[in-house]
Amino acid sequence: MSANLTVERTEGGPDNGSGPPPVRRNKHDRGNPAFKGLSHLALFVWALTVILPILWTFLASFKTNTQIFTDPLGLPSSISWDSWGRAWEKANVGTYLFNSVIVVACGTAGTMLLGAMAAYVLSRFSFRGNRFIYTLFVSGMVFPVFLALVPLFFVVRNLGLLNTHLGLILVYIAYSLPFTVFFLSAFFRTLPVPIAEAAMIDGASHTRTFFQIMVPMAKPGLISITVFNVIGQWNQYLLPIVLLAGDDKKWVLTQGIANISTNAGYQADWPGLFAALTMTIIPALVVYLIFQRQIQAGLTSGALK
Amino acid sequence: MSAALPQNPSRRSVLKGLGMAVLAAGPLSACAFGSDDKPANNGPTGTVSANNPLGVAANAPLEVVIFKGGLGDAYATEVHEPMYKKAYPEATIKHMPTQQISQTMQPRFASGDVPDVIANSGSDVMDNGALASEGQLLDLTPLFDAPAIGGSGKVRDGLLPGTVEAGILSGKPYLMKYIYTVYGLWYDQALFEKNSWTPATTFEEFDALLGKIKAAGLKPYAYAGKNASYYQYWMIAITAAKIAGNQVLIDMDNLKEGVWTSEPVLKAATAWAEIGKKYLDPSFEGLTHTEVQTAQNQGQIGFYPSGSWLENEQKEQTPATFKYGLTPTPSVTSSDKLPFGAVRAAAGEAYIIPAKAKNPQGGLEYMRMMLSKEGARGFSEKTGNITVVKGAADGLPLSPGTKASNDALNKAGDNIITYNLFEDWYKEFETELRAKTNALMFGRITPDQFCKDVQAKADAVRNDSAVTKQNRTS
Amino acid sequence: MRMPRGGARFVISFLALPIIIYVIFVIAPYLQAFYLALTDWKGITASPKFVGFKNFEVLFSDSVFWKAVLHHGILLLVLPLVTLIIALFFAFLLNMGAGTKGVRGSRFYQAVFFFPQVLAVAVIGVLFQAMYRPDKGGVLNGLLDLVGVEPIGWLTKPNLALWMLIAVLVWQAVGFYVVLFAAGMASIPKEIVEAAQLDGCSKGRMFFQVTLPLLWDTMQVAWVYLGIAAFDGFAIVQVLSVDRGGPDGSTTVLPLEIWRNAFTFSKYGYASAMGVALFVLSLTFAVLTLRVTRRERIEY
Repeated sequence: MSANLTVERTEGGPDNGSGPPPVRRNKHDRGNPAFKGLSHLALFVWALTVILPILWTFLASFKTNTQIFTDPLGLPSSISWDSWGRAWEKANVGTYLFNSVIVVACGTAGTMLLGAMAAYVLSRFSFRGNRFIYTLFVSGMVFPVFLALVPLFFVVRNLGLLNTHLGLILVYIAYSLPFTVFFLSAFFRTLPVPIAEAAMIDGASHTRTFFQIMVPMAKPGLISITVFNVIGQWNQYLLPIVLLAGDDKKWVLTQGIANISTNAGYQADWPGLFAALTMTIIPALVVYLIFQRQIQAGLTSGALK
Repeated sequence: MSAALPQNPSRRSVLKGLGMAVLAAGPLSACAFGSDDKPANNGPTGTVSANNPLGVAANAPLEVVIFKGGLGDAYATEVHEPMYKKAYPEATIKHMPTQQISQTMQPRFASGDVPDVIANSGSDVMDNGALASEGQLLDLTPLFDAPAIGGSGKVRDGLLPGTVEAGILSGKPYLMKYIYTVYGLWYDQALFEKNSWTPATTFEEFDALLGKIKAAGLKPYAYAGKNASYYQYWMIAITAAKIAGNQVLIDMDNLKEGVWTSEPVLKAATAWAEIGKKYLDPSFEGLTHTEVQTAQNQGQIGFYPSGSWLENEQKEQTPATFKYGLTPTPSVTSSDKLPFGAVRAAAGEAYIIPAKAKNPQGGLEYMRMMLSKEGARGFSEKTGNITVVKGAADGLPLSPGTKASNDALNKAGDNIITYNLFEDWYKEFETELRAKTNALMFGRITPDQFCKDVQAKADAVRNDSAVTKQNRTS
Repeated sequence: MRMPRGGARFVISFLALPIIIYVIFVIAPYLQAFYLALTDWKGITASPKFVGFKNFEVLFSDSVFWKAVLHHGILLLVLPLVTLIIALFFAFLLNMGAGTKGVRGSRFYQAVFFFPQVLAVAVIGVLFQAMYRPDKGGVLNGLLDLVGVEPIGWLTKPNLALWMLIAVLVWQAVGFYVVLFAAGMASIPKEIVEAAQLDGCSKGRMFFQVTLPLLWDTMQVAWVYLGIAAFDGFAIVQVLSVDRGGPDGSTTVLPLEIWRNAFTFSKYGYASAMGVALFVLSLTFAVLTLRVTRRERIEY
């Protein structure tokens, strides 16, 4: 594994090293202005393709149906928050948001705790069946979830967990474990052995060693994979529509949006739909702006492991 | 969930992993499917009396699932459920509205945890044929044979002709079809008067009229290809029935050999394909029904094929000046078997009771209330649609669209075109028909090819032993 | 690590819960799915009937299945290729060669490009509905209208629809790989870069002869990720395409057919057989990719 090629490495940057002083760049590198201009243009255009649809959605929430469909590029004639009110109250966006937060918070916490425990044991202890259990976990990464949907429904139902947040949380944990275990095992393997051994010699129990020595040392890895799981679980759509379908008070945000999207179809309330859409995008955007670095590192470090 | 790959899974270790999982999962898989073949009627029962002919347990909870589409769900929460609550104050009613009947209900059927009444409707309906053949639906005979509320005689006596028959699957009435719907081409009467356009009676006139509408800068004809192409195959089927009578539709339902390649169907497909080629804007294939319907309300579209729920569905979007009108589909030849005035009218929108409902008696009683004059009238008030209950809407103020439907029915007299039941019976066939209808109307296949392709799918379904076959004689 | 005192008890106590949850909710359902594929279960009654390999026989003669497989083939070639080329290009522009600080606004661009990655596919589907609307009310067609071009049926032309859906997938994925590659490029030791520069290496040559080989590992993983994404596509096709997988089945994918067969046609057994086929295909792809692309790593 190329554990040395992590994103964290870039943050220190290559400039603070004590290597030879920077070489004078050749003529080529100072760049010809045309090339520079063109590359800025390319970057700028792509950035627009990301920003404009989102901005458009925001603006569309203030338009009327007629405006949306006859003058897609126009600006709203007035700013009225009616559609936002409809989306929040009638479409229950507030409730869905709250449910999502609960489920994802518990789901990720559970995933991290159980995943870290399993990964730690699997990566640092040798015992019969270790390799087998590890393979069992990571093999979960190659199965398309679609294959399991119907039987999964029965399992959850037989445990009496259908239409409960607990059921969904447990399923989230289970389906997040393969990648979490895979990723954290690799991470724990890179941590130095002597520190843990020293702690053990000092009389610390295995459990204490894990929580007080190893977990803090593994913090960068834990943060990355936490971010990874939060985003994965937040955006999950398929599992909730199967496991939470029967009780609309418990729905999560993605479910709600899909529902509002059909609803707008039947009630012809597109401004309301776009208001609801904007309301789901804004929290994601705010969290993203604050934790941008962690999120990027969290999502990409999985690929670099 | 995100799937990523381990970099080095040796095939053997994966297989070994699976091997152990088999052992571990053994007991689970054994109990997963269970053996809950309980007797069909396991609900609580109360004492049968004149007021309670179905023996409803007064305190048993009732769960009602309503498809919240064009009809909304106020008719349930504000009319039928209060009626039930009034009669059985001890019962708690759980009301669940949904737009996605199939996604939410299919898993519940699979688990046996089913509600007591379901409005199985919308573009994601469950396959009623499959449900019935799996023994998942309650036989509604006791409902139709029970005394009618507030009237004389049985429930079935107070219904429009053909209502009970429209809900028969494998010889038993499993479906309660509630709404009496008239189908045809809808337009804005005010707009047509202003331009002195009059609906056409033959396809030749239709062609000329659409030409005029096009010249006026409108899109003369539209249907929504993205999710409602079935509105258009209804028109093709209706036209085929006009040419050759209802038997051709009955043959379609019976998956008869060669019916789709027969002369009347080919003629109907050809006539409509011609309209598609000349007057159908390609953008409509990518729009949903509400988008197209809203565009009609905004005065951009001439004719739109639909059923009589349309006016109510578009209530919010319709400007005050817009007056819905209805015209039957034009005739193809002068020797058509049915006259121009013939319209398709049928009991539609199926309500079902699961066989494993926890309170089946309550479900039947709920339906009995729906079919009472009071319940039906309340429904018409809330939704603007006429039910299958005779005379229930008499005296209600009629909207332009409802009046147009009534007029069309009166003009049609006995020339009623039957509804196709393959939509309830053979979902797989129906899905293919939708796709081919788009291909035909937007000019990607010839009428000949359309007929051949659809017939091929009908043959395939007929020969698929996994699909339970239904049959109708009239 | 050797197993010191109390180790066995510790190992068991740490592994028990994760394994139990995992086996109950993941392993057991998957295995049952393999069993269901051999039955004619309609998803409704309690007891499925065993029919052997009949579902697979039907599957292999099902033209819709092969159409979906073909689309996965197209996705498998195009999605990774286009995404990686665009992402490499942008990462290169952002870094302006390896080992330097990058262009002005580099952080900003990375932040913007990456954002779609944190949005749910359901949200993105609804977003693009408005972009791709086939009449002048659509954003893209509204723009075309400004320059006098007639509206284009982005999703209604059978030859175009799949490509427009792929475009959405690329749109969402590019930012992720830009950030990934940019980080990879920035972490290439500057000694290597400087040595190359001293040798008078042009920017283009440096990209192909230095940057690319050093990123090979990352690229390989990226290819596998995108390949796996190519076997999904359900949500986007489901939300955006005409008639779910149309027109004329030109955008259908296996997950959609699985969903349709299960939830619309009540053919759970058949749907499970498709699921098994999907599994075999994606596994084959993964194993092949890892075999083919395995190379000597450049150690540094």
